[in-house]
Amino acid sequence: MDYCEKFEMALEKVQKAPRYTGGEMNTTVKEWDETPLHFGFCFPDTYEVGMSHLGLKILYGLINRESWSLCERFFMPWTDMIELMQKDEIPLLSMESRRPLNEFDVIGFTLQYEMSYSNILAMMEMGGVPLDGTERGEQDPIVVAGGPCAFNPEPLAPFIDAFMIGDGEDVMTELNRVILQRKTDGWNRERCLRELAKLEGVYVPSLYDVTYEEDGRIHAVKPNCPEAPANVKKRVVVDLNNTYYPEEIPVPYTEVIFDRIMLEIMRGCTRGCRFCQAGMLYRPVRERSLERLTDLAEKLQEATGYEEISLSSLSSGDYSCLPELIRTLMRNMKEKRVSISLPSLRIDSVLKESLEETQQVRKTSLTFAPEAGTQRMRDVINKGVTEEDLLEKVRDAFSGGWNSVKLYFMDGLPTETEADLDGIADLARKVVGEYFAVPKDQRARGLRVTVSVSIFVPKPFTPFQWAGQDTIETVFAKTEHLKKVLNIKGVTFNWHEPYVSFLEACFARGDRRMGKVLRKAYEKGCILDGWNETFRFDKWMEAFKECGLDPAFYANREREEDEIFPWDHIDSGISKPFLWREREKAMRAETTRDCRKGCNGCGLQKWKGVCGYANAGSV
Amino acid sequence: MRMLAVFEKGERIRHIGHLDIQRSVQRGLRRSGLPVAYSQGFNPHILITFASALSTGACGKREIMDVTMAEEVEAETFVEKMNLAMPPEMQIREARAVDNKHPSLMGMVAAAEYDLMIRDETQGEKLAEAVGKMMERDEIMAIRKTKTKMAECDIKPLIYSLHAEKIDKRWHLNAILTLTERESCKPKMLMEALAREAGIEEEVRMLVTRERLYGTLDDGTLAALERL
Repeated sequence: MDYCEKFEMALEKVQKAPRYTGGEMNTTVKEWDETPLHFGFCFPDTYEVGMSHLGLKILYGLINRESWSLCERFFMPWTDMIELMQKDEIPLLSMESRRPLNEFDVIGFTLQYEMSYSNILAMMEMGGVPLDGTERGEQDPIVVAGGPCAFNPEPLAPFIDAFMIGDGEDVMTELNRVILQRKTDGWNRERCLRELAKLEGVYVPSLYDVTYEEDGRIHAVKPNCPEAPANVKKRVVVDLNNTYYPEEIPVPYTEVIFDRIMLEIMRGCTRGCRFCQAGMLYRPVRERSLERLTDLAEKLQEATGYEEISLSSLSSGDYSCLPELIRTLMRNMKEKRVSISLPSLRIDSVLKESLEETQQVRKTSLTFAPEAGTQRMRDVINKGVTEEDLLEKVRDAFSGGWNSVKLYFMDGLPTETEADLDGIADLARKVVGEYFAVPKDQRARGLRVTVSVSIFVPKPFTPFQWAGQDTIETVFAKTEHLKKVLNIKGVTFNWHEPYVSFLEACFARGDRRMGKVLRKAYEKGCILDGWNETFRFDKWMEAFKECGLDPAFYANREREEDEIFPWDHIDSGISKPFLWREREKAMRAETTRDCRKGCNGCGLQKWKGVCGYANAGSV
Repeated sequence: MRMLAVFEKGERIRHIGHLDIQRSVQRGLRRSGLPVAYSQGFNPHILITFASALSTGACGKREIMDVTMAEEVEAETFVEKMNLAMPPEMQIREARAVDNKHPSLMGMVAAAEYDLMIRDETQGEKLAEAVGKMMERDEIMAIRKTKTKMAECDIKPLIYSLHAEKIDKRWHLNAILTLTERESCKPKMLMEALAREAGIEEEVRMLVTRERLYGTLDDGTLAALERL
């Protein structure tokens, strides 16, 4: 039996076979032998998670659109499948033509969250790709990665040949061209990597040397060859209207997490919330035009038959002509029975009018993210939202017939005290109060207020990159306190175990040595760490110990202003002095205005013509 | 008017469950731009029924959907537009327009014809030999599993026909089995009984393909459901 037959047999035995079978509408299977460059897109999590990801759909379409390249998808199998694959020696196969990972010229991982890192190793090993870059030979694929976590590439430096930093649409094709040239000109790996390092936005970690201080902090990161720039600038696509966006996307047979059209209305955010890494990394804010969006919505709907379109961005409420966009989409989609949903509503920006229009089609639960319970704490994190804003929106929602509200908070934020935790409960109680203030005959029955409190993880390129995370013990104590104060009728309290957040913090600000811990933990059997049922914290702690590293050094340690960070040689466009200034303001609970109201000098202004709000107003 | 359309559920997507097949067909209809009718109410859905749910893991050669149209549509147009809108594994074979008074297909299903491809050649050999012996018995006992209980029952009256044939080194069983809302014999039940007859203890690995669905004529003989 060849591996394809064995794979078919394995499908008979696994829990969810459809996640492995492919053949979905709008997937592309190109002629292998007639297409010179073969790209394996790897999503280091399950099919259901990966197929919900917009970036995959963009790059899949973008690579397949070029006549000279093809893109096939790979996902992380679940444990039952992994066992069968190991037992029957089945390699990791692509969804399209069922080819093993190591037959591709280049394989690309998307780095969406740190807890998927062990899956990267697992997928490479199952796909027959040597894990360490130095172990790879001329026949092996070039391994690349991109996505938000690529901004601190260091923990993955041993395993990834080249990182793409920033927006992927342009650099993806440039990178593929170089790898195609490797094939045609017969370049060796070393030559190819050096050529890649010349591309703007590409970081080749093997071309840099890291030295450490005695206490474990970084002394310096220096390029070791002329092709490698001292600082790697992130890529920015300036004009979203003229940037590729897919007009048809794969439609899974089975339900995935986001089973709908995702219309990216803008990229970036001007709010400047100090905990938010995406808000810094995706700067500057760029909008797609109303015309482009209505056209895309039309084409995507026709190509997919989806019954729902969600407007996607970091802060959809800030889109400059949101009410008009919603009105237009609703008008165009009404006949087709397509509903429009607004997922990441910011509580201060949604117009009552748009709320009423959403309701016209479907009454989904409303989500608000005040993030912190007291005004002081919200000022610290620069979440420019007041209690009155929130209560007003909630009031509108309840009198408009909603009965379900989700509130998202974080605990463990810098400067947090018990009063801030109690504030979460106060706010929840007030939300409940708003519901009961609506006359009984005018409100929907069955109030549901869900309070979710996640644990703050300090991230690179944010004003809190210097901050220590709460220890596991502190988080537990805070959770106990929250359980007590949030025991309110009509309120459900969702809390998180701190272990995952702790490890996430280690990787988020980890250096190259974290790569050793990752490999060790993987060898001990750690995979699918983002899933409760497979996460093995004890194994991770053993791995730290055996590598002689202290996780608290990465997670809980408060850094000095002048510390050299592992990611300092990556240029996100946001300057370190700006971030430190923001940190200082945070400590004083001072807010910073939205960049749309005037430039705050974050650093992006140094790139001419990139940010539309640069140098606007007085600093 | 309604459209009775015969479609295929291909081998690659045989593990897709019935609910997902339903949703995929609905999305296909929405992509096709055909004038389908929607239900009234808060969450409008396409008015569509399927003659019979096909089990997860089974392929279907001639499955039948019944779609209510909002306007008159030619059957050929329906097939053409749907085939552009459906993935290769779910193509429409033929369609027939009927008026709204046409009885519901679900109530008319009487039997289904299956092709059971035995993956192992030796097992296939044994099973093929056992067919004649089993069919000579007065009763064929099998286990019927429902969500709540297991009961033994005689499937002999539920088997219209059963024969074995070797195609390309593999044994295939062709079976026409009763399939009604009241009682039915699943391929798995038949295979358990036959394996017992053949003295096979290990699990028989097979590929199940439902070839077609039958209704009955006035005289009780079977006829293709989509033609009734």
